[in-house]
Amino acid sequence: MAANPMHQFNVYRIGPEIKLGEIDISFTNASLFMVISSIAILIIFNVGSKKNSLIPDKIQLLAELSYSFISKMISDTAGSKAKPYFSFIFSLFMFVLFCNMFGMIPYSFTVTSHIIVTFVLAAFIFLGVTVIGFIKHGLGYLKLFVPSGVPMVLLPLIVVIEIISYLSRPISLSVRLFANMMAGHTMMKVFGGFVVSLGIIGGWLPLSFSVALTGLEILVAFLQAYVFAILTCIYLNDALNLHH
Amino acid sequence: MSNDQFKIRLKIAKDKIKSKNNSNKIEKKSSLGAAFKMSTELVSAVAVGTIIGFILDNWFGTKPWLILIFFFVGVIAGIMNVIKSAKKMQK
Repeated sequence: MAANPMHQFNVYRIGPEIKLGEIDISFTNASLFMVISSIAILIIFNVGSKKNSLIPDKIQLLAELSYSFISKMISDTAGSKAKPYFSFIFSLFMFVLFCNMFGMIPYSFTVTSHIIVTFVLAAFIFLGVTVIGFIKHGLGYLKLFVPSGVPMVLLPLIVVIEIISYLSRPISLSVRLFANMMAGHTMMKVFGGFVVSLGIIGGWLPLSFSVALTGLEILVAFLQAYVFAILTCIYLNDALNLHH
Repeated sequence: MSNDQFKIRLKIAKDKIKSKNNSNKIEKKSSLGAAFKMSTELVSAVAVGTIIGFILDNWFGTKPWLILIFFFVGVIAGIMNVIKSAKKMQK
């Protein structure tokens, strides 16, 4: 049914069914949009970095601006030690941003509105940051769970609390992106449905709401990619510069 | 541009980088992003605590005690998360 606001999140197979043992790895519309956003990123940054003219044209300006934006964000949040991880955070930010923005095109599919996609990204970051922390500090990384200046009596409780709050990181990271994208797109579809059902007389108010919501959604799409990247930087900062 | 002028500007730029590296503080984000961050942090810690309690209950067969305890520990962890990130923002 076209009026169903959740219909836009359906994942369906494109092309032949491919099975790897018991696992279905067929090419779906979700994979299609991931491929489209990756290719778009590759094209923009290849074209943008090819010419290197002193006075940049629009694409080169875009590439240079996003480079300096991410570079500044990393050095502000995680310090100079985080420079080697620039390429990872840059690709992460660009991928999430392009997936969100491609989702704003009508009739397209929003990859980041599925919890499994965002959770895999967040779990990968979580594992990576934990491994980096252990490599840099050895077993001393476990001091992260033992804050200084806590009385011995309270220590077991505090350690459990700290472990829970550490484990909650990938969940809060993934749920934030997923919930924002899904709620926003559902709301846009619902208001679009109101326009059709109220007709030419009553439809103007929800139509104006839809226009405003579209603007808000573009803001949210950018902001969520930014928050995703900046939180990765903050977690990386915890792993690189141990404070406690 | 003369050479002296350039030297002064280079010094200003270098000082800027130095002061940034020293303070190493988190840049003020837009408040909307901060609001999203806080709300999910509170909820996700509660969810993780409850899940851990549920798994431990199944292991030890102590239903429903551990899930109750870990639910409240999760609530405390969530509140501490929010306090921590609020403190980070104020710095």
